[in-house]
Amino acid sequence: MAKAQEHAAVQMPLAGLLSWILPGLGHLYLGHRARGLILLITICATFWTGIFIGGSAATVNPHSRKAWFIAQLGTGGNTLAAYALTASTLRRLTPAPAEDSPFLGHWLSADVGVHYTGIAGLLNLLVILDAMARADGSGSRESGRAQEVKGGK
Amino acid sequence: MSGITAGLLLATTAMTGGQHALLMFPLCLSIAVVYKTTRCDDLRDIPLAAIVLWVTIVLGMYGVGVGLWALFSVMA
Repeated sequence: MAKAQEHAAVQMPLAGLLSWILPGLGHLYLGHRARGLILLITICATFWTGIFIGGSAATVNPHSRKAWFIAQLGTGGNTLAAYALTASTLRRLTPAPAEDSPFLGHWLSADVGVHYTGIAGLLNLLVILDAMARADGSGSRESGRAQEVKGGK
Repeated sequence: MSGITAGLLLATTAMTGGQHALLMFPLCLSIAVVYKTTRCDDLRDIPLAAIVLWVTIVLGMYGVGVGLWALFSVMA
C-alpha cells in the first residue's frame, strides 16, 4: 500500500512534466497510447498551424504579447522550440526587420496565430491535469493498460 | 530545405476577414477533440462526442455573434 502511494507520488509529477514538455507524452508514459497520440497530434497541429499562419516572430513574442506568451508556455516544448526558431533567425537578419516586414506581420494573421498557439497552450494545461489525475488514480479512471485491454476485446 | 521550412514558419500568411472567420472551425474542432479525449472513458465515444461539442461551440459562438450584432444594430 505504501509502495503504491510512493509510486503514484513519483508518477504524478513525472506525467505532468512529460505532458508539459510534449502534449500527450504523459499519457503515453502511463500506458494510454491511443489517448496520448490523439492529444499529441491535435495540440501540436493546433500550435504549429498558429505558427504557420502568424509567423513565429509575431506569434511567440514574450515582449509584445506577454499574457499570450504565458498561455503559450502551457505547451512548453513547442513554445520553446518556436521561440528558439524566432530568436535564431531574427539574430541573423541584419539590419533588424522593419515594422511592415512579413516576419513581424500582417496583424490579422498574427492575431489568428496567437489565438491558435495560446489556446493550444491552455488546452495542454487541461491535458497536464488529466495526466496527473490518471497517474494519481483518482476518480473512476482505470489505468491505461486496463483500458486498452478492455478496448481490444 | 530547412531554409524553406524556416521561412514558412517565420513569415506571416496574409489573409482576408472571411478566411479569418473560417479558421474558427478547425480551432473549435481542436478544442472539442482535446476536451472529449480527456473526458471520455471509452475511446470509441470520442468521435461522436467531439463532433457534437464542435457543432455546439460553433452554433453557440455564431448565436452570440448574431445576438451582439442585433443588439448593436438596435442601439445604433
